[in-house]
Amino acid sequence: MSSLTTVIPKLYQEYSTKTPKKLKIIDAYLLYIFLTAVIQFVYCCLVGTFPFNSFLSGFISTVSSFVLGVCLRLQVNPENKSEFQGLSAERGFADFIFAHLVLHIVVINFIG
Amino acid sequence: MAKLRFYCIFLLYILIKCESASVDTISSDIRFKNVDRTIDISTQLVRITSKLTLENTGSTPVKNFLIAVESSAKNNAAFAGAKDSNNKDLRVVETTVKGYEYAKFWRVDLKEAVNPGATPQITVTLVLTKALLPYPTAITQQEDQLVKYIGNLYIYSPYYITSQKTNVILSSKSVESFTKVKPFTQQDGGIQYGPYPNVKPFSEKELAIHYKNNSPFLTVTRIERLIEVSHWGNIAVEEVIEIEHTGAKLKGPFSRYDYQQDHHSGPASVRSYKTLLPASASDVYYRDTNGNISTSNMKVKKDSVELDLRPRYPLFGGWRTHYTLGYNVPSYEYLYQSGNDYLLKMRVIDHIYDDMQVDEVVTKIILPEGSTSVKVNLPYPVTRLPDSLHYTYLDTKGRPVISFTKKNIVENHIEDFQLRYTFPRLLMLQEPLLVVGFLYALFLCVIIYVRLDFSIHKAEHPHKD
Amino acid sequence: MTVEVQAKTRLPQLSSDKQLTFIKLAVLSMAAILSFGTRLFSVLRFESVIHEFDPYFNYRTTRYLTEEGFYNFHNWFDDRAWYPLGRIIGGTIYPGLMVTSATLYNVMQFLNITIDIRNVCVFLAPFFSSLTTIVTYLLTKELKDEGAGLVAAAMIAIVPGYISRSVAGSYDNEGIAIFCMLLTYYFWIKAVNTGTILWATMTALAYFYMVSSWGGYVFLINLIPLHVLALMLLGRFSARVYVAYSTLYCVGTILSMQISFVGFQPVQSSEHMLALGTFGLCQLYAFTQYLREHLSPANFELLFKALLTTLLATLGTALVALTLTGKISPWTGRFYSLLDPSYAKNHIPIIASVSEHQPTSWSSFYFDLQVLVFLFPAGLYFCFSKLTDANIFIILYGVLSIYFAGVMVRLMLVLAPVMCIVSGVAASSLLSLHVKDIEPKVEKHEKKKKHENNLVFRSEVGFLFVTVLGCLLVSYVFHCTWVTSEAYSSPSIVLSARAHDGARIIFDDFREAYTWLKMNTPEDSKVMSWWDYGYQITAMANRTVIVDNNTWNNTHISRVGQAMASTEDKAYEIMRELDVDYVLVIFGGLVGYSSDDINKFLWMVRIGGSTERGRHIREADYYTGAGEFRVDADGSSTLLNCLMYKMSYYKFGLVYTEGGRPPGFDRVRGAEIGNKDFNLDVLEEAYTTEHWLVRIYKVKPLPNRGV
Repeated sequence: MSSLTTVIPKLYQEYSTKTPKKLKIIDAYLLYIFLTAVIQFVYCCLVGTFPFNSFLSGFISTVSSFVLGVCLRLQVNPENKSEFQGLSAERGFADFIFAHLVLHIVVINFIG
Repeated sequence: MAKLRFYCIFLLYILIKCESASVDTISSDIRFKNVDRTIDISTQLVRITSKLTLENTGSTPVKNFLIAVESSAKNNAAFAGAKDSNNKDLRVVETTVKGYEYAKFWRVDLKEAVNPGATPQITVTLVLTKALLPYPTAITQQEDQLVKYIGNLYIYSPYYITSQKTNVILSSKSVESFTKVKPFTQQDGGIQYGPYPNVKPFSEKELAIHYKNNSPFLTVTRIERLIEVSHWGNIAVEEVIEIEHTGAKLKGPFSRYDYQQDHHSGPASVRSYKTLLPASASDVYYRDTNGNISTSNMKVKKDSVELDLRPRYPLFGGWRTHYTLGYNVPSYEYLYQSGNDYLLKMRVIDHIYDDMQVDEVVTKIILPEGSTSVKVNLPYPVTRLPDSLHYTYLDTKGRPVISFTKKNIVENHIEDFQLRYTFPRLLMLQEPLLVVGFLYALFLCVIIYVRLDFSIHKAEHPHKD
Repeated sequence: MTVEVQAKTRLPQLSSDKQLTFIKLAVLSMAAILSFGTRLFSVLRFESVIHEFDPYFNYRTTRYLTEEGFYNFHNWFDDRAWYPLGRIIGGTIYPGLMVTSATLYNVMQFLNITIDIRNVCVFLAPFFSSLTTIVTYLLTKELKDEGAGLVAAAMIAIVPGYISRSVAGSYDNEGIAIFCMLLTYYFWIKAVNTGTILWATMTALAYFYMVSSWGGYVFLINLIPLHVLALMLLGRFSARVYVAYSTLYCVGTILSMQISFVGFQPVQSSEHMLALGTFGLCQLYAFTQYLREHLSPANFELLFKALLTTLLATLGTALVALTLTGKISPWTGRFYSLLDPSYAKNHIPIIASVSEHQPTSWSSFYFDLQVLVFLFPAGLYFCFSKLTDANIFIILYGVLSIYFAGVMVRLMLVLAPVMCIVSGVAASSLLSLHVKDIEPKVEKHEKKKKHENNLVFRSEVGFLFVTVLGCLLVSYVFHCTWVTSEAYSSPSIVLSARAHDGARIIFDDFREAYTWLKMNTPEDSKVMSWWDYGYQITAMANRTVIVDNNTWNNTHISRVGQAMASTEDKAYEIMRELDVDYVLVIFGGLVGYSSDDINKFLWMVRIGGSTERGRHIREADYYTGAGEFRVDADGSSTLLNCLMYKMSYYKFGLVYTEGGRPPGFDRVRGAEIGNKDFNLDVLEEAYTTEHWLVRIYKVKPLPNRGV
């Protein structure tokens, strides 16, 4: 357990030096989404689940945005170039926008 | 806007022409020397055929005379016609007489004026519908159907009748009761009344006969007849028919076992009837909203096609059914053409079954797209409905639809109407050109699409989805 | 089917590339047209009419949709069924089928192509089967290569297992569901192969279409997570799979909840928990991969263990707590019976009574699939020999479908496509191996002496093998066409038989009775019949029914069963309670139609006796002393005096049905009926059809007081 306190700062240091700027922007965005999700969940626990569809649509919206952000991060990361054959960053971003379009149309329909 | 106005004025003109309400007076010069009347009540219709011997007792020639029907039978009168002694049709026009608004009158126009003293012979036919009432109104499956006829012992006429005889033709020997006014004789299948001398005009005396009548009492409550004209050589006719058994209603259970075992069970029920179609009818279909009705037989005869139609179930009193009957006829038999003008001659209503009785008919004619200046000539007064548009395959503007309706129709109304319209020959190319144009546009789109490049990148090698 | 062979046989003025395209297009369009054409037997023999029972309900709802518009359709409360309860149609159907037909119909009407809505419904399933052929080609192309794709497309065009539920006139959910399912699979394989968010989103949209069309989407949402789990276990989990699955799960789940019938089930029912669990596992796996890259092994071990223990503890307790408190519903009866086949028989007789839910026999497999049964293991071998992510998916799909098809006959439909795909792979691989050998290569002449032992009969063997395989495929075609023509093309609303002189007799009794009901009874009459005929009565006769095929209320059906199984006076009380005006029974004893109500009677007894108010109805009462079900004089007196017996055999005792037999001889049960001369007290015969197939009785009103 004590070594846990040494591992985490080491991890943080490794992260801040090694990751390129592009990915750090995406990570900041992911953190923001995560905080929004936590706030929604806490609110739901306090107030109750009625109306359930509104809670679900908001929560799933945050979860999906987080997941899509992670996917974009994976695609943009130059280390993963071998996995995604011939996928440029622009194409990844365009797909990201398309998925968000679909997602938000559904969320607006579901929020009630 | 101008077209609309033109149509309105046109409609008004047609209406005025069709329902000419004329007023006549009763001439005191005319007398009927002898009337020989036959009342045929062996089927569901009442057919009164009167052989009149007209006498001109005045000093001026007589051009026309009036025939009338009682106020009780006013709404039942479906058809009135007249023929002279050479068996030529005379013009019969509905009219009114001042002071006698409770009765119904027709004016018969003679071909040659009747000189004073002449006595020509005219045969007048009158057909009444719904004048035979089932009595009792409800019967069981085994019983016979008894109907009551209430009419006039004397002919209801505006003129003095010197002598008249009436012969009533029944459908069977069994008569429950009938009016007994001497002199009369009862025979097998008929009763003769008369001769009665010197009857005053407009005299009525009740003639009531209660007898057995098992002939089919079918009424078509509504028939919608659709005629679709195509210049590619085909006219498609489709009739949507609602038919009801208007005899004595069925009381109690319907036993299929009794119906199948005993051939005399349900004497007044209708198992099938024969429809006659035009001689060149082909591709006949007989169905309803649930699908095809397979119980029918078709026989091609010399001058017609006889269709033996069996409804899905036998029709007992009060039961109704509906069906759609359609067929194709070649257009050269009914569509005449000269240059850009076309003339269509087809029947307003066709033969549905013998002794038919139709409550309402709506006839619609769909002309090819681009037809203009439409004129309709009808053999008898009908109500013209507003024109509309019909959209079907390969239409852009829609096809004009001419429709008219009439109530209370019998077999005597089976006559041709004439429809004239103009159609520029060049417009026939529109349909094939539409298909060609569509395919051309489709291929053009594919050619362009295949040559477009949708890639989103700045890299060296193109990627494929 | 390889490029080398094609290059040798050049057609004039066409490069080999263009030749390939031409052959591909020709084969595909022929397969698509063939799949449409082979489903048209019943339309050509009889007419364009909707078959069976369920399609009539779909047809009625589609008609309502085209007439009233989508908003009214979505909010439709139907008071013509399940009197006096009614049914919320908007929230209890899968609207995909109706919306597809209505959209096609509206598009065609806009272009002035005036095809009637009934014809759109009848021909929708064959049209979608053509589309399925094309999607199968695309899917197999992703798995193996184009050659396998073409063979698979040709096979699925005529496979009887799929034809049975997608014949022209069979307007049911499965007609489009198979297309949606294969489309989703195709997009999923594309997503796994390329790893782009675009394909994953397309998968989610196709999944939405699948959810809207069939309840079998549960199979999909369990198969795809299983695939991901399998990849994880085999160490093939990569960033691509992560992208594909996470996007699909998130967007797909919220899309699937837009269908009212599905509602909140994706987050609440046990059937969807596997997908949720796999999603969570994916996130954890990816996160640990990320950590592993950035830490030294020892540190990583430590962090990993700490995180794992805390996470498992919280999740485990949460799951157990939610299931116990009922927040997460357990497996519903229908799907539970797939895992435990005996469950339905013991607990829910309605599910057990449907003939489509019975287990499959061995002969059905051969009947529906023929040569594919033998090519399937070969195809599995080829898939295993070149293991890719996509092949693992197909192997999983194949094995699972075989299990489910064995449990329920109805699920043969899900097995047919995967059989075609795998067999296509097998046939294509085998053919390409041996077709090469038919013409030995010229360059190897010098080395001929060394390899002579191997090469000596190579071309002959290759030729023989190709001939044998060709014969097998030809026999497949003959078998499929024969099966389609004989077994799967009857409209069941119209029956036909051959008289002894060869003429065809048509039994159109059902439509005769429904038309009679529609035209000759008051508009608001209520008709009581067994639930099988409910949909047809509402659609064709347009009258209110008491129970219909939806079978959502077991108590109501049981009440009807009690009425059918009781004596006349007891039944009269039930009929007055339910406001019944007419009663309809199907009787096949005169013509020998064996799916009539007397043969279904024992199910009525079982279902009638399964609720509290029907406790007095015991199945044993309706058997003879020896335990047989008989309708002749030896039959049990409870059976001979119940309402169903009286309604079926009223006045039948006087009819001579077969030469040399006494009157009242029931041709289906093969016995002379026991109770012949009886009268009905509370009913009156209203109408019986020509061949006595449908009998309609009118319920007499209460007698006047003092009379």
